Amino acid sequence: MHTDGNEKGRRARWLPASTGVAAVAGLALLASACSSSHGSSGSAAATARTTTVTIDLTPHGCAPKPAKIPAGPVQFNVSNADADAVSEAELRTSDLARILGEQENLTPGLSGEFSLNLQPGTYKINCPGAAQQHWDFTVTGKAAGPSWQSSPQLAAAVRSYAGYIDQNTAGLVAHTQAFCRAIDARNMAQAEVLYPQARVYYERIEPVAEVWGSLDTEIDGRWENPVTVASQFIGFHKIEQLIWADNTLAGAPKLCTGLVGHEQQLLTLVRSVQYNPLEMTSGATDLINEAATSKISGEEERYSNTDLPVFQANVDGAMEVVGLLQPYLQDKDPALLSQIRQRDAAVAALLAKYKASPGYDDTGYVEYSTVLDPQRRQLSAAVNALAESLSKLPVQVSG
Amino acid sequence: MSGDAGRPGPAGWPDPAGRPRPAGRPRPGEGAGPSRRRLLAGAGAAGAGVLAGGLAGYFAGQGGGAAAAGGDGSDQTIPFYGTHQAGIATPAQDRLAFGTLNAVTGTTAGDMRDLLRAWTKAAADMTAGRPVGEDTQPYAPPVDTGEAAGSPVSRLTITIGYGPSLFDHRFGLADRKPSALADLPPLPNENLGPDYTGGDLCIQACSDDPLVAFHAVRNLARIGMGVVEHNWMELGFGRTSTTTASQRTPRNLLGFKDGTRNIKAEQASLMNDYVWVGGETDQPWLRGGSYLVARKIRIFVENWDRDYLQDQENTIGRAKVSGAPLSGGTEFSAPDFTAAGGDGQPAIPARAHIRLASFEHNRGTRILRRGYSFTDGIDPQAGTLLGGLFFIAFMKDPGQFIRLQQSLADDALNEYIHHTGSAVFACPPGLRPGQDWGSSLFA
Repeated sequence: MHTDGNEKGRRARWLPASTGVAAVAGLALLASACSSSHGSSGSAAATARTTTVTIDLTPHGCAPKPAKIPAGPVQFNVSNADADAVSEAELRTSDLARILGEQENLTPGLSGEFSLNLQPGTYKINCPGAAQQHWDFTVTGKAAGPSWQSSPQLAAAVRSYAGYIDQNTAGLVAHTQAFCRAIDARNMAQAEVLYPQARVYYERIEPVAEVWGSLDTEIDGRWENPVTVASQFIGFHKIEQLIWADNTLAGAPKLCTGLVGHEQQLLTLVRSVQYNPLEMTSGATDLINEAATSKISGEEERYSNTDLPVFQANVDGAMEVVGLLQPYLQDKDPALLSQIRQRDAAVAALLAKYKASPGYDDTGYVEYSTVLDPQRRQLSAAVNALAESLSKLPVQVSG
Repeated sequence: MSGDAGRPGPAGWPDPAGRPRPAGRPRPGEGAGPSRRRLLAGAGAAGAGVLAGGLAGYFAGQGGGAAAAGGDGSDQTIPFYGTHQAGIATPAQDRLAFGTLNAVTGTTAGDMRDLLRAWTKAAADMTAGRPVGEDTQPYAPPVDTGEAAGSPVSRLTITIGYGPSLFDHRFGLADRKPSALADLPPLPNENLGPDYTGGDLCIQACSDDPLVAFHAVRNLARIGMGVVEHNWMELGFGRTSTTTASQRTPRNLLGFKDGTRNIKAEQASLMNDYVWVGGETDQPWLRGGSYLVARKIRIFVENWDRDYLQDQENTIGRAKVSGAPLSGGTEFSAPDFTAAGGDGQPAIPARAHIRLASFEHNRGTRILRRGYSFTDGIDPQAGTLLGGLFFIAFMKDPGQFIRLQQSLADDALNEYIHHTGSAVFACPPGLRPGQDWGSSLFA
């Protein structure tokens, strides 16, 4: 039921890529740091042990001890006993071009520290004013990071998923623009056909869009939810209400322009985040939950009765995740994969009963109001079974 | 009812039960039928404390009954009379029967006053372990419906409240209406159906025995037949709140402890500050009373049950098993909403339920929660469970609930719940022996 306008994602689980670097005190940029997954993901990189490196500032220099460490979290303890001319230590890239971390203003008697998460490679410790200013520092081993990043299959699935989200969000914008052109042209019949065509793009990626709660409300909020902020009932479903319930396009062009604007914001945001397998998979379950509640009840598209194509879109979005993870799951839990495929096929077989050509409003499906309660229960049972299987995926990818 | 053979026939038929007819009592069908008014008055005048033979021992607390309770406390009674109505600060019982009723067309102010008088008497009787009247007439329907006969009273409380609609033009009560008593405004995440909304009157019956609680609502509704009719009703099968420090914190259908931070009856200053109506009301008759907000909250349990444990905990803001806040400690540790988790994000997430519902997040606003888990069976469309939390809370002004619910617009839990019913009632203060609800309201 997360299309409900006020119902936002439970927390912003997709990490903006710019915060994907390890947390570093007083350090703005860490080019070689890995992405860390979010704390709610259960697969955070924080499990790696922190290595301690000691640096004594002396007139002679700033030799790191040890000078070679394994990749991962590292804390540099910097102290100055009596070096008047040296007061800082920096960690720099091997070409000295960029400072990755530093502790400065350490006059004699002071000490300090800085921490970061280092990838394998060669670095330099730099201490201006010392007899030897540059000291070699080496990080060995494999890239430390969320464990899924070390799985080529999972890493590939995440990359592909980012592409899927990108494509569908871009498709959402394009198809909504077409919908808006029909509205601008006061072509009601055309708008009715183009509405569900735009909707499906959103319904494939909704768990991602939900992260930005207010955008989700502005794009997809239903009337019952943002009532405390009446001005937020301004998205798809408001226009749907105008077209199907009020039979008017008055006010629709302006709403549609705003809708496209919010979708464009969403497009920018989905391109800025780091995805991960845990949230990919739990998002798949969320999509089917969504089908099982607001689509089965008909609340989602209550004015237009075009619930079936968006129901299909929820299933498609979830099964895309399964498809991307298929190479991984075939090794990890083939029985689960097989069960998911069977249950998806059962859903597809039931949905096929309601396919029509060209269908209601050219959706390829019959009008949802013609699907009666006993039939809805069959659909509900099938998608609930599918969701139950999908809910077993997160633990498979979060090892 | 024993079928046709036992139906009282014309005068002169043998007494089917073989018992003598009490002297001086009219036989059914003899003389003019009693008016509804007389029936109500009669109910109110039923012999206090005299148990009819068939119902002897109805409540073991009255001594000598067939249902002598063991040492489990099930025969414990909660005093009906007092400064406040029972059933608010009373340690939450395990079971609930909650009914709302509407006046039928044609009900007069006098009818309503008499009904409330009759209810007072019946409620005093039932909560003390007595049936609502004696049954000595073989040709009369039993005064008490009887299903609780033999059941220990099990701390039965009966709490009544008046809905905003009671103060409309019908009963001359418009100038008695508290200004704070009004239907709740539209609130986030609700899709209210008329089947579970509003009501002129409410009856909250709580007991550790479900049959005893149900019996109380059924009998009060029956006494009101012809004056009021059922609007909606809900049964609660497990308490979801703790209202006293001595109670173990129960769990709701989410599987999480609920009510850990609830106001406790022992916290007298909090009760006065947030629960009991005081001098701030424009209606002196309500002082010492409280407002009851009821919300029927469906939980999509199938969806919830599929969420992985850590996300469930992030949604609530507490550990599932221990109930400790995610900021650390044990169940009763104060949540630290500023604490950061290992990932630098708030340990209690920004949209966690306990954060948004906390008094810290709501300018100190608190309420006394006293809800129950419920189920209405199966969703006919989806085949999924229709159930959740029947939320009841008491407060000195409904604005407290409104503020909290508006804060929950961003609640992560909203993905799994939906408010489907709503009502608000003004619960009058407690009564002293000799007083009754009708005379107090229609003074």
